[in-house]
Amino acid sequence: MTDAIPCIQSSGVTLVLVVSNIDLTTDLPIMNPSTFLESSIKDFTLNINNDYRYLKTGYYVSLHAEILGNPVIPSSENIIDAYRIPILLLRASKAGIPTMPYLVTGSVKQIISEFDFPVVVFAVNPFSYEGYKIAKNRSALYRAVKSLGMNYKFTVCAQPLKGEMLSFNSIFGKCELEGNAREISEKIYGLLKIPICKLHVQRIGEKVYLCGLQPLKKEELFPSGLKMISEGILQISKNGENLIG
Amino acid sequence: MASIACFVEKYNFTDPKEALALENFKIAAEKMDCKFNFMFRENLLEIPKYDAVFIRATTDPLFTAYIVSKTAWEMGLKVVDDPKSIQICGNKIHLYALFKKYNVPHIPTIFINKDELHHKRILDIFKTFGRPVVVKAPYTSFSKYVEKVACETSFRDVAKRFFRKSDVLVVQKFMPTAFDWRVGVLNGEVLYVCKYMVPKGRWKHGAKRRGKPSFVWGRTISLKRENAPVKLKETALKACEVVGRGLYGVDIKEINGDYIVVEVNDNPSIYAGYEDLRDKDLYSKIIAYLVD
Repeated sequence: MTDAIPCIQSSGVTLVLVVSNIDLTTDLPIMNPSTFLESSIKDFTLNINNDYRYLKTGYYVSLHAEILGNPVIPSSENIIDAYRIPILLLRASKAGIPTMPYLVTGSVKQIISEFDFPVVVFAVNPFSYEGYKIAKNRSALYRAVKSLGMNYKFTVCAQPLKGEMLSFNSIFGKCELEGNAREISEKIYGLLKIPICKLHVQRIGEKVYLCGLQPLKKEELFPSGLKMISEGILQISKNGENLIG
Repeated sequence: MASIACFVEKYNFTDPKEALALENFKIAAEKMDCKFNFMFRENLLEIPKYDAVFIRATTDPLFTAYIVSKTAWEMGLKVVDDPKSIQICGNKIHLYALFKKYNVPHIPTIFINKDELHHKRILDIFKTFGRPVVVKAPYTSFSKYVEKVACETSFRDVAKRFFRKSDVLVVQKFMPTAFDWRVGVLNGEVLYVCKYMVPKGRWKHGAKRRGKPSFVWGRTISLKRENAPVKLKETALKACEVVGRGLYGVDIKEINGDYIVVEVNDNPSIYAGYEDLRDKDLYSKIIAYLVD
């Protein structure tokens, strides 16, 4: 375990321990999550994972780093908050990132009384890979609330749909879109430091509003994305802990 | 006049003793000139109208209660349970890792991840802890998702079931006792003390009836906090120190005069006639903490 500790030395100042479940097309030394979870290495830890959801390995890597006292990207608190849509929107809004109005509820009637159709419905449970559903009428809304609420066990987060939904990969805050979408991607990374995720936004005219965030599936990471991850790691190795907000 | 929202779900009113305890909170608040309203999941838009939020619905980072807690916290309201306490107590991996780090006496514990579910590792665990061992899912509450296993087949069956939700599990030495101490703690002070008895022939305070979905619960014996052993109370406070300054229920085993922490629970059960039997002031103390 301690024979070859995979760290990046930069400028003689910062050691970065990269823990990743993704095969990167790079010569960078990488430790796999299982090995890290049994280790007690004390270094600034960069946790690279396509899926940081609560209770999943990506979450436990950040938690383990924190227990060891390591500065870590991302933090376990930010992981929980990022995937809970209402908390994501609340924190984003406080940070000045444009968001849509939202309602957390398990009641279809309440959604109808607050918003006109169509409505975008997100799950408020981090088990869902489903993203969101658009309900254009009452029966579609009932189906969406039942499905995303896991048979009404969990609440859902409803938002009015006033424009067009866009979804895109965000890697270290970078994305392949231009303009306001790119700005939101950068700001969300600045706020929560989730290195790899998919963002859902709504474009209304010229403006873009944050709607949600979800994990990426490994098959959604194309070579361009893998390259962006490697670049992001190198960037952090140069700036080290200064990048932790 | 301070106003408190008490976040509850419908199931909080199904047991008359819990419903009565909730009513007692309301009475205590009103005696202290505070407004106390029950808030259900349909009323979350009202959170900003309140000065404090008291959560009685079951907490877990996956549940609506966390959304309520974090929302209130972000808005600057006083909140019990606070989101950090929910994050720590809602995940036993997190909790036991802190116990290890800060030397809180606790049941011998190891963590296993999916890659470790193999013959050699399981044999190692039995060799270290003896048989049976206890396998816990990190999200356990109310004695659920905690199972005793004595052979490799059972170990694999239980672990595979728990691994569906969590990629890491807790394995502990089996340490049976006739009861667990339950120490209620608020803001670093002992609030109440009781014994949660284990039903005859069982090994947990709450045990599932064979072939039925319902649970059988052991008796609760209360004693005045002043009369509880000093070392017990010190152990409970030490365990809470690593979590926070909120409201907790600490489960502790007494073995040969030593006190060993089983776990710290946020959002501890408070049932009229049980936890409050000897220390009726627990309601006013919690309300006072919320509006302080």
